[in-house]
Amino acid sequence: MKQEGLSYFTDTWLTLIALIIFFVFFVALTIVVLRLKKKHIEKMSKLPLEEDQYE
Amino acid sequence: MSKGEEYFSYDDEIVKKFILATVIWAGAALLFGIVVALQLAYWPFNFNSEYFSFGRLRPLHTNAAIFAFAGNAIFAGIYYSTQRLLKTRMFLDSLSKIHFWGWQFIIVAAAITLPLGYTQSKEYAELEWPIDIAIAVIWVIFAINFFATIKNRREKHMYVAVWFYIATIITVAVLHIVNSIEIPVSLFKSYPVYAGIQDALVQWWYGHNAVAFFLTTPFLGLMYYFMPKICNRPIYSYRLSIIHFWSLVFIYIWAGPHHLLYTALPDWAQTLGMVFSIMLWAPSWGGMINGLLTLRGAWHLLRTDPLVKFMVAAITFYGMATFEGPLLSIKSISSIGHYTDWIVGHVHGGTLGWNGFLSFAVIYYLTPKLWNTTLYSIKLAETHFWLGLAGTLLYYVSMVVAGITQGLMLLAIDKTGQLVYPDFIETVIKIVPLYWVRAIGGILYFAGFCLLAYNIYKTIKNAPKTSVQEKHLATRVKFNFDGERGHRKLEGKVLIFSVLTFIAIAVGSIIEIIPTLSLHKYVKPASITTPYTALELAGRDIYIREGCYTCHSQMIRKMPAEVLRYGKASTIEDSMWDRPFQWGSKRTGPDLARLGKKYPDLWHYRHMLDPRSVSAGSIMPTYKWLYTKNIDFLILRKKLSVLRNLGVPYSEEEIVKADLDATRQAEEIAASLKAEGIETEKLSSKEIIALIAYLQVLGQKEPIQK
Repeated sequence: MKQEGLSYFTDTWLTLIALIIFFVFFVALTIVVLRLKKKHIEKMSKLPLEEDQYE
Repeated sequence: MSKGEEYFSYDDEIVKKFILATVIWAGAALLFGIVVALQLAYWPFNFNSEYFSFGRLRPLHTNAAIFAFAGNAIFAGIYYSTQRLLKTRMFLDSLSKIHFWGWQFIIVAAAITLPLGYTQSKEYAELEWPIDIAIAVIWVIFAINFFATIKNRREKHMYVAVWFYIATIITVAVLHIVNSIEIPVSLFKSYPVYAGIQDALVQWWYGHNAVAFFLTTPFLGLMYYFMPKICNRPIYSYRLSIIHFWSLVFIYIWAGPHHLLYTALPDWAQTLGMVFSIMLWAPSWGGMINGLLTLRGAWHLLRTDPLVKFMVAAITFYGMATFEGPLLSIKSISSIGHYTDWIVGHVHGGTLGWNGFLSFAVIYYLTPKLWNTTLYSIKLAETHFWLGLAGTLLYYVSMVVAGITQGLMLLAIDKTGQLVYPDFIETVIKIVPLYWVRAIGGILYFAGFCLLAYNIYKTIKNAPKTSVQEKHLATRVKFNFDGERGHRKLEGKVLIFSVLTFIAIAVGSIIEIIPTLSLHKYVKPASITTPYTALELAGRDIYIREGCYTCHSQMIRKMPAEVLRYGKASTIEDSMWDRPFQWGSKRTGPDLARLGKKYPDLWHYRHMLDPRSVSAGSIMPTYKWLYTKNIDFLILRKKLSVLRNLGVPYSEEEIVKADLDATRQAEEIAASLKAEGIETEKLSSKEIIALIAYLQVLGQKEPIQK
């Protein structure tokens, strides 16, 4: 089992690609989220509650 | 009225229709659930009936729960919230109506064909090809209506609930179409283009993500809309919801192979499935926390408002189920839990707790609003909640205990290296009392549901008869995205948003499925076996028709206890001609991958007629109709011919003589049974003979190259 597990680490380029994809994905996502303006967030958060004003 | 302002109304009639359908089908789904639970506790509840046996009713129960109950609940919630979040009426009322009636027609078609034995035996995708086409058509109509509504919107940015609906619509379409590629043999029989391991991987990519994108993402959308509505405060964190959405749709799709741990699936795919399942912990719990903390500062509502109780319990069950799922995907835990009732408990924590309770909250919330009245009885709703909770917990705990008990018994090996419980039936007898507890749990849940049905009936009955369609005032302006960037801009760009969602689900799908489609990489030419004879194929199709896969696997995992119990671990070659694959997902009875030649023909003949005559304590139904129904010999040529087109190496001669070859083989089996004293008229033409031929060849196929 241990041998089998270790055998996967021969293809280091595979693990490297995976690491890069996920690192980039989540870092990009965090940046995108942090860059959002507070005003927009407040407006969007209230959307479900807003329509009652019309009723 | 100022410039650009206009009056419009929402289409609430369609929401009402879906609400009523939800209530009706929920009753049916739960009732079938109780029936199959009782059948497992006490086999005579199969009533010796072809149309009422567990193998045929179980798919009916799962399909009714997922596509009829949860499906209609989703649509009700989506039609209600989408219109309001986008401040526009649905694109076309007629498309909404076609969607509604088309979906109900599909449900009725399922309810008729499944008990009749028309099934593809792929879990949650059992329906045969004409119904598959109908599902695709209706889904596309729904998609057109939905996306055109977004295009017509008066609100510039799409709220998070709408993103989850977009992901649902796109992904379910992809899953359904890819998993349903099949070649028809007759009006209600087809063979999938995928075989064996490919079929297994595609099916569980579908099956896992049907849970993800039919029972999770749309309900999360509903959570993001209805949780703020019910407790009258905005969602806890909009930022968190963005991370929740993108990481969930990106990661979920990869986790399918966790249904196939320790099987013949290549190890890299198993490990991938396991790792991604564990990664799912993060987004799932992010979503749960976001839902629960919406109640911040208003926790007192939990004491007084039954709707808040349903919502909070639903989100808590979501958290529990999404904690347990990754846990069960860890290989060592899967070795105990897989094929046992633990999995059944796990999914019911999700369906009864998460999908059920959330749907109930939505129904209780929407009915008084739509019918312009108040709920008939808060007290009944409160009682419903406690009955439902008690039922769910009883169900869950009994099944987890049953699963772990049986799992450990089946794995137990003593000091001499022998199985501690060599007879599978010993482990079944041990857990039958828990099957009764489970049935009681189901009955409690159903009792709670009956209170809902009564409450809703009375609410609607007491509602004012004349309904006035409310007019709403809104401004329609041309959207201007100047100065907007990042996610804010994306929230207004439907096409780009949808394409990105598609890419997020496509990456994992492609990486997993494409390599497996090149089967030759994994098959050893020296191990390729001969395909089934025509009679064996006829028997196999009977095995599929009776839903044997609902209780028996055909996949011996690479584990010492499995090999000791069932024989050599299953290989890719063992099932390479299997269309559809029959690896199974639950062992209420033992694995059958190497059943062939283990018992004489006579044993099988007696066993299918009365399982208890050869296996004391068995809970298997009887299959009396197999002894009177005739084998359809004539269709065999067509079946072999379709399979040859799919790549099975049948010769022209084998196809032309399929019915004659099958008759000859049937006569041989019948003669051997006759020699043992079985005196049945025209025995060789009965279906039981074909089934015996199939069961006796399991694991006994010779390699083509000797």
